[in-house]
Amino acid sequence: MMKTHYMKIGFIVAIIAVCVWLIWPLQTKIRRGLDLQGGIHIVLGVEQPPESEKTKSDVTDRALEIIRNRIDALGVSEPIIQKEGTDKIIVDLPGVKDPERAVEIIGKTALLEFRLVEEDEKKLSDAVRGETIPGYELLYQKERDERGILRESSPLLVKVEPELTGAGLTEAYVGYDASGRPEVNLEFNKEGAAKFAQVTGENIGRRLAIVLDGVVKSAPVIRDRIPNGRAQISGRFSMDEARELAIVLRAGALPAKVDIIYRQSVGPTLGKEYIEKSIRASLYGIIIVVVFMIVYYLAFGLLADFAVAMNLLILLAFMALFKGVLTLPGIAGIALTCGMAVDANILIFERIREELRQGKSAKSAIEAGYHRAWTAILDSNITTIISGAILFFFGEGSIKGFGLTLTIGIVANLFTAVFVTKAIVDYVIASRPVEKLRI
Amino acid sequence: MELIKKTNFDFLGKRKVWYLFSGVIILAGISVFIMRGNANFGVDFIGGDLLQVRFKTPTSVAVVRGELDKLGISDITVQEIGTAGNEYVIKSPPQTSARIVERLNSIMTQSGVEVLGESQVSPAMSSALKKRALLAFFGGLFGILLYLTVRFEFHFAACATIATFHDLLFVIAIIAFSRKAIDGPIIAALLTIAGYSVNDTIVIFDRIRENVRKTRSTNYQAVFNQAINETLSRTVLTVLTVIFVDLLLFLLGGEALRNFAYTLLFGFILGAYSSIFIASALLIDWQRRTGFKIKI
Repeated sequence: MMKTHYMKIGFIVAIIAVCVWLIWPLQTKIRRGLDLQGGIHIVLGVEQPPESEKTKSDVTDRALEIIRNRIDALGVSEPIIQKEGTDKIIVDLPGVKDPERAVEIIGKTALLEFRLVEEDEKKLSDAVRGETIPGYELLYQKERDERGILRESSPLLVKVEPELTGAGLTEAYVGYDASGRPEVNLEFNKEGAAKFAQVTGENIGRRLAIVLDGVVKSAPVIRDRIPNGRAQISGRFSMDEARELAIVLRAGALPAKVDIIYRQSVGPTLGKEYIEKSIRASLYGIIIVVVFMIVYYLAFGLLADFAVAMNLLILLAFMALFKGVLTLPGIAGIALTCGMAVDANILIFERIREELRQGKSAKSAIEAGYHRAWTAILDSNITTIISGAILFFFGEGSIKGFGLTLTIGIVANLFTAVFVTKAIVDYVIASRPVEKLRI
Repeated sequence: MELIKKTNFDFLGKRKVWYLFSGVIILAGISVFIMRGNANFGVDFIGGDLLQVRFKTPTSVAVVRGELDKLGISDITVQEIGTAGNEYVIKSPPQTSARIVERLNSIMTQSGVEVLGESQVSPAMSSALKKRALLAFFGGLFGILLYLTVRFEFHFAACATIATFHDLLFVIAIIAFSRKAIDGPIIAALLTIAGYSVNDTIVIFDRIRENVRKTRSTNYQAVFNQAINETLSRTVLTVLTVIFVDLLLFLLGGEALRNFAYTLLFGFILGAYSSIFIASALLIDWQRRTGFKIKI
């Protein structure tokens, strides 16, 4: 008889040891959500081609890869980039100092095209008057003037069909033109270079417009055949703009237009405040519950408190094990779980009191208390788990973290509040007979 | 210690009073809710920009609002948070927060503005979020009903679910009265209430089942009353412990958790209230109408 008690106690001790090992040291083992460490959460909507579901998903996949490359180039540590549904991409960038710049780089389509310019003045003036010229379209060149104000230049009539796109690019880096202004240097791969050589060779004297996302960046006159596959984009860039452009060109163009449909950023100041306040509030709340349980149920209260502590430990261990993300609502979830975790013990203890009042002995009152309360505990915990799980699966951003801590906490609660406390009570009763129960 | 000794209240005798009380509040709440229209919802569900800013030196809502009025953007709301008089939450239509920050920066050049946090929700996202929230909300309720039906018989499950629905409507009424905007955290709170508040009802129903089995009595009102009385102490205690925690989150947890904790606070109280006064009362009335036997 004593042997099973020892085994149960040993099992509990082993679980505690494993949990402590899993969560130690806490700061590095538990991942904090964006709301706690500061950063930016973006949801991108990928504009879809009017085709089947399959290509939809495919476009999103390609967009995701390119965005991943761009973010890698940004040098953000531990970014999360994942697909949601068929047409959304979620990007989490922790600790980004300048959200605007990150958004700029991620959202740019960066479709680079080299298109020939129609030099016929008459056709150009016809097009400006509103006539459509088959195979051509009017594009404008936007440039910053000396004072840094964006101006639209005179229109250019350019071919709709590009001669070459950014797809054949191998390298894009910032350089300086003859007058010391930043420009972006391009290098093409073998096929790209061959195509480039052919186009430039056949069109000497014409202008070749370099079009980025439908805007003409520059339209240099082709002076000579360019055989080596090198070109420059100049266009009064600031140094930052040139650098961003080089990043997005290197990573490649997005296969479709991408819109930022949701963004949420939390500064580091706010994140720190969130942590301090929520943890302090949680701690005080838990302390009140712990003290209340001892005052109300004496030794049994202490037992329930032990179950709460173990519940907390298991909860954190699961978070560490499954790389769960701790968010601000998640911290609230942990605190609330502690408030709910004692419920099971309250049900049991109240039942024990009731059984004692009916004149049962200590041992049989305890047996009956645990036995009778069990179904109600199970039923009530499962309904809370249903809510928690739904919040985890459907919740957006930090709410997910709440669903997570609530669900794990309540599941652990079934184990700690019933099995653990029962094992300890049984052990105590077996080691020294209890005549009268004070509860 | 024992807060609640053996009691013998007639909870079910005055059930018309509780029906009336709940009915009036819920109806008033629905009216206010309808009148408020879009103001019921936060940017998560209607789209828009939300900025949380802190000025280096204290200023006033009137000054901030006055400056932002000059931008000519309609529908900007400015709300002061915290107690230092320098922190504000500014709600505005989609794609306008950049202009607001620019404006605040230009007028507060000497004092400086820090953007603590922001969110921008496009109409496309807000409708997706709304759909998902509704799905989660009703999916959750349905899941709970389904589980209860499996565990209890249908009449019990239906009454517990109606009581839960009552709690949610009641809390939504309170949110409408307190002029709060429903956002992601409030939806999370509502769903938590749905899952947790049914607990007390389960405990009472469990006891009803046990007592019917034990006494073989068909004087259901007496049996139900007794079950509620017998479980009263644990109903109150279980809610009390979770309210301790929630109250501290509300008081000390900071602005970001305030509405969440506020919603939960009322939800927990109502969960206990409806378990005691509504759920069993509904069951009794249903039984009287149709005369079904409680299965044991």
